[in-house]
This record gives sequence, C-alpha cells and structure tokens, in this order.
Amino acid sequence: MLDPYRVLDLTTERGLLCGQILGDLGADVIKIEPPGGSPARRLAPFYQDVADPNRSIYWWANNRNKRGITLNLETNDGKELLYRLAERSHFLIESDNPGYLAAQGLGYGDLATRNPGLIYVSITPFGQDGPKASYADSDLVILAAGGPLLLGGDEDRPPIRVSVPQAYLHACADAAVGALVAHHERQRTGLGQQVNVSAQQSVTIATQANNLAYRIGADEAHRMAGGVKLGSLRVPLVWRAKDGYVTLGFLFGRQLGVFSQRLMNYLHELGICDVATRDKDWIAYGGLLLSGEEPMAEYERVVKLIADFVASRTKAELLDAALQRGLLIAPITTMSEVLESRQLQSRQYWQVLEHPELGRSFPYPGPFARFSAAPIAYRRRPPLVGEHNSELYRNELGLSEDKCVDLSRRGII
Amino acid sequence: MLPLDDVKVVDFMWALAGPGTTRTLADYGATVVRIESANRVDGARTVGPFIDNKPAHEASGLFGTYNSGKLGLALDLNKPQARDVVLDLVRWADVVCESFSPKAMRAWRLDYESLREIKPELIMLSSCLMGQSGPMSKFVGFGNMAAALAGFYHLCGWPDRPPSGPFGAYTDYIAPRFGAISVLAALDYRRRTGQGQHIDQSQAESALHFLTLALLDYAANRRIEQGVGNADLNFAPHGVYPALGEDRWVAIACATDDHWRALCSAMNRTDLARGEQFATLPARRKNRDELDQIISEWTRGLTAHAAELQLQGLGIPASAVQDSNDICHDPQLTARGYLTEIVHPVCGKTVIEAPRFLLSRTPANTARPAPTLGGDNQYVLESILGYNQDRITELVAAGALQ
Repeated sequence: MLDPYRVLDLTTERGLLCGQILGDLGADVIKIEPPGGSPARRLAPFYQDVADPNRSIYWWANNRNKRGITLNLETNDGKELLYRLAERSHFLIESDNPGYLAAQGLGYGDLATRNPGLIYVSITPFGQDGPKASYADSDLVILAAGGPLLLGGDEDRPPIRVSVPQAYLHACADAAVGALVAHHERQRTGLGQQVNVSAQQSVTIATQANNLAYRIGADEAHRMAGGVKLGSLRVPLVWRAKDGYVTLGFLFGRQLGVFSQRLMNYLHELGICDVATRDKDWIAYGGLLLSGEEPMAEYERVVKLIADFVASRTKAELLDAALQRGLLIAPITTMSEVLESRQLQSRQYWQVLEHPELGRSFPYPGPFARFSAAPIAYRRRPPLVGEHNSELYRNELGLSEDKCVDLSRRGII
Repeated sequence: MLPLDDVKVVDFMWALAGPGTTRTLADYGATVVRIESANRVDGARTVGPFIDNKPAHEASGLFGTYNSGKLGLALDLNKPQARDVVLDLVRWADVVCESFSPKAMRAWRLDYESLREIKPELIMLSSCLMGQSGPMSKFVGFGNMAAALAGFYHLCGWPDRPPSGPFGAYTDYIAPRFGAISVLAALDYRRRTGQGQHIDQSQAESALHFLTLALLDYAANRRIEQGVGNADLNFAPHGVYPALGEDRWVAIACATDDHWRALCSAMNRTDLARGEQFATLPARRKNRDELDQIISEWTRGLTAHAAELQLQGLGIPASAVQDSNDICHDPQLTARGYLTEIVHPVCGKTVIEAPRFLLSRTPANTARPAPTLGGDNQYVLESILGYNQDRITELVAAGALQ
C-alpha cells in the first residue's frame, strides 16, 4: 500500500518496530546499521542460545520487510552517503538520545535543508526536550515513569511488568501513526516535519486513563492479584480451571450485568445454583453491595460457586461455553497454545519466513490487519548484517566497485 | 490548517479499542461523527475514573479522553428512519469505522458489501476482538479477554503464583494505533488509485505484534515461557524496589557493568563491585535474589524520587514508580502538555490526555471535549447533511434521534 515510499531506519534497539510497520504496508525500508551490526543484534534471546548478530531473536522480531545496509555515520564519507539517501527518501526514523544526531550534522534541521519534504521521526525515552529528556532509560523505567507499572501485579509484592518488553513497542506504534498523519498533510503542502515521540508518554495509554484520577478528583485504581479493586469490592479476573487459568468477568451494571445474568442462568441449568441466586438483580448488584443492602458474604458465596464451577472444567470446555452462550470467559493462553490456535490457523494468520542461512523457517505473527484491496505481504525475513550493501550502494546509488571496496576497507560500510 | 481536516469519518466504534483510533484522527483535524444510542450508551461512559468520583454518563474521564474532538449524533439504528441518516452520512464520509461483533453491521445491512454499493470508494475499518472470520469471530468481550487469548496474561506474573495479567483491557491499548495506521495507509492508497477497501482488524492479531519476541523464541527454541516477575534476560540488577512510604517503589535497571559499579558506589558498597559474585551479567542474574535483597535494604531508606534523582545523576536507568499524583505533577509530562484542560458542557473545566506524539509544524487541536450523548444532532443533520428543520422534526417524532 505504501510501496511508492522509501524509509531510512536509523533506529537503535528502541525504535525498530516503527519501520517494520511501514515495511509491512509495502514501503521500501532501509535499515541502516553501524558496521558490524546494530546493538539490537546483541540482545538475547538468540536462536539455539548461540550469541551471534544474525541469530538474535530480538532482532528478528522487529526487522522483517526491511533491507539492511551498514554505514558509519560518524565519518564524513558516511554522512555524505546518508545525505544522498535522505534526498531520495520520504521518511527517516531514529531513536538516539536527543541531540546525538544533531551533533553529528544529521538532525532534522540538517536533513530538512536538503529535503524539505522529509518526515523525520524521533523516538526517545522521554521526548526531545524537557527536564527528563536526557534521563537514562529501560523498558521497566519507562513503564514506571509513565504510570502502568504501579497497576500491574500482586498487591503483596512489588509491581511487575509484562515479561516481554513493551514500552518501546507502544512508542513505535505511536511513531508510525504520527508519520502517517504527517504524510497525509505532506500531500497538500509538500513539506515534512519532525514527529516527536516520548516512550514515557506513549505508555500512559496502558493506564486506561487512571493517570487522570488525581487531577479530576477520582479514586486511583490499585493493583490486585488477578483482578481489580473497585472501591471496597475485590473483583477477581483470573480463575483456576482444571488445566490452567481463565479470565472470567463477574461484573455488574447495565451493560456488564447482562453477562453475569447469562452466567448465572447457565449455572442454574447445570444445577450449580438455586433459583434465588440466579434471579438476583445482577444489573444493580454492584450498587446493592456498596450500599450494604446485599451482604458481602453473599457475594463471596456466589464467587465461590463460580470458582468451583470453573475449577471443574478445562479451558477448552470453558471457551466453548463462552462462545455458545456469550459469556465473558477467555482461556489464559501460553505461547504454544497461541501458535496452535484454531482461530488463527483458520485465518491463516502465521506467515512462514525462510532463514536460508540457517536452513530453517519460522512462523511470524501475521498481518496486523487484513486489507481487501492491498493485503500486507511478508516479503523479506530480517536482513543479515550488510546484506543489501551491494544492491543499494552499487545498483541504486551507482557507486563503483572500487569505491565500495575502498569504503569497506576504511570501515565506512 | 490541521493535517487531516479533509478527512470525514463516520464512527460506530465503542469502548476503547475503536474510539482510540478515531480520537487520533480527530486530534489532527478529521471531522468525526460519533454515533451512539441512548438505548445502548457506550460502556466507556460507565467506567471510571469519574470526575469528583461521581459516576455519570458525562463524567467519565476515560470516555472523555477517548472521544474528545468528535461530534456526537444519537441514532437508534433499529428505527428505519435512522438507516437513511446513516446512508447519507456514508455518502458524505471517506471512512466508516465500526467495532461491533461481525453480525451486528450485517443485521442492520450496514456491512461493507452493503455500503460499497452506495459508495464504491469507501474505506471501512471493522475492528473486533478476533476478526471477521474464523470459529471465534463472534466471540464477545473486552480487551482483557483478548489479552488473555493472545498470551499477555501468561507472560505477566511471578513464577510461583498464578498469572496476574497486565492492568485492564490491554489489547485496547495496542489496537487503536494499528487501526489509525490502517486507515491512514488506506487513504493514501485511495488517493493514488481511486480504490477504497475493507479493513478487517482482529484486535488480538494486532496485539500479537507486541509479543513477537516471545512467539519467535518459542517457535525457534521451544523455550517454555512464563511470567518471571521483573527479571530480564539482558539486564541485572533489574527490578522494582521498596521506597519510603506506603506502596512506594523505585524501578532500577542496570544495562551495563558500568551501571552496576555506579550503583555500588551510590549504595556505599564498592566492596560488591570488586567481588566475583556480582562481577558479570550472568553472575548477577544467577545471584539475583541476593542482589535484590541488598538493593532493597538501601532503597528502603529513601523516597522513590530521591532514589531516582541520585541514580539518574550517576547515569543509571531508574525511576520512581509513579502514581496518578506523581504523573499529574511530573515535570517532563507537563512540559509535553500531557494533560490538557478543556471545558466540558456538563462538567465544566476538566482535563483529558493530549495526543501522545507531537508534530513540529502542525500540532494537534484538542479544544473540543467529548460529545454529550446526541449533543451535536442539530449540527450534524443541518450543517453536514443539509437537512431542513421539517426533516429533523420528523426524525425526532419518529424517535430516531436517541
């Protein structure tokens, strides 16, 4: 869909997903790495646990549908080559600390004078300016600074994050939105601009607006093992099934109470609860509990009935019941179960990419959306270090073979 | 002029994953007509945080943040007259967005196949938990359920405990980005080719792009994955440590041996930096429990922000684990205008979250608050669709505008 456009991807380990999204949409994304390879290639896990720049799964996860070249941007010849590439590109994405590329003569201003239409996307921990702009960062630190960390985990232990880094993925996805908003505007004016992304601000979305609580005078949400605390009410969301865990919503109110009514109808049919329990006012139930009209012990008795029911069924049985009866139940799924999901297989979700140098193929998560007119295609596995140097420097920039050998010898490409 | 002020959107989205997509389009100038019905108000209106802690349909900070900048049209889609209004809106629009379960739009004959007959170049985004096809296409629920199915719950927890899962409707935080990306790419494609299209977004499938690392690690190495608390493959120490005060914590991540040595000097424990036990990343990972104990003893005597300042001063990645009060006073977020004041017609002066990314030349406009239910009926029908007052009165009489 975006095949007329070229993207220069200068990102470090922070910003890789943004270019991959544009590459999935068909853009010609050129990943530019320092000679020897990106620092992201040094990050674990590695294929078969062999640390090698071409075997980093961290690298694989965020670099398909890109071509890869090496270029030393700290040399004058390297900068000249980047200027030439930037003159014929539509987007540039970078994720260095604020000011680093500008000090190299490669800031937005430097490139905009050569290509006023360039959209220059900067993905940083805290943004381009401000008192924390030069803070040292990591996934965990960003999640702490932006709000979501405090809300995750068990109440009797420290807050926890998702065990797979998330913060920069949020930032990268926002960066891709920003790039395409700026691109739409460029169609009218011909002018580019800088997209300024802060990972700290990007992860604020994962608080579900609870960050606002203090300013608007609302109670703050608090973390609770496998659930949420709503005022004095403890709402369990993680329940033990026969062969693992499910999430089940036993919730109240005009919209959610309907699901609880269905669940109680089902439990009554199964002989698990009596008519009086089935016919409680599940719409108004939350209010009845908070006012004390319904004793908390009665709520806990019903929760126990549900817990016993869930514990007697497998995840698959519970999912079938959810599908047939419209219940708020979903299995807590492991990675192996995700790969075997009938739903994903029936939609032919997995895209197998061959890694010929390893003699292996791997299933990659498939298109993030299905486009009827211009479907996403998985055209390239993540590039090896400098895989497309010759294609790009010789065939597309027209450098001579001697020149390329010389640049390589001097450590520039 | 705003970047998207030539883009016209009819928005049938609800909850978070859908409205988050159209919020971004509205921030940057798109005209978004948000359709709601009094018979089925958006569930997001019933979820907090609520202004002054008083639950009310117009007082949800969550709804307010996800729907600012949009126009509100109340329509009862079960009334035949409402359908005609929708079709006129579709003729006006570039993009239709909806996030019902797949059968709903078909039941109203407002699915893509029906709408393209009256507008062949239409772009339509259909976003639901599991996608438009497959045995689970009609699976109903919320983003916490898609997060469980996608694997996020299993990957968030302690090794000795049941999974705790990330906070809230996690896939709803991811899907809006991919929704907006898809619409913007389809607009570019239509500009160049004249062709519209249907976009089928499974929120779970979009969200799996945030777990590619774990999925590939399993596919390539068959590694048995699970939640590991705050442990990290590449960093140690790496954790959340107790600070002075109730439920106060500081997050610390040492990415390099230099960070570790600097931390030792901050703790006045340069003896640790010299010893074998913690000399390398593998050694620190192996002796993680003891390491975390030592760091906790030190952090316990400090406030979270004092620890952050001291460690950042040494170049060590660290941050107070910020609560809402901290966030509302955070100088960095304030410098970026994270919380922006608006005047709501019912609630008065309040705040919403501003756009998360900044554009240097064409900043967003966030002045318009989220619509009250049906708050823009007159404007939409008269100024956008050109209906005369008789027609509008008829619609009111037929009960279509609620």
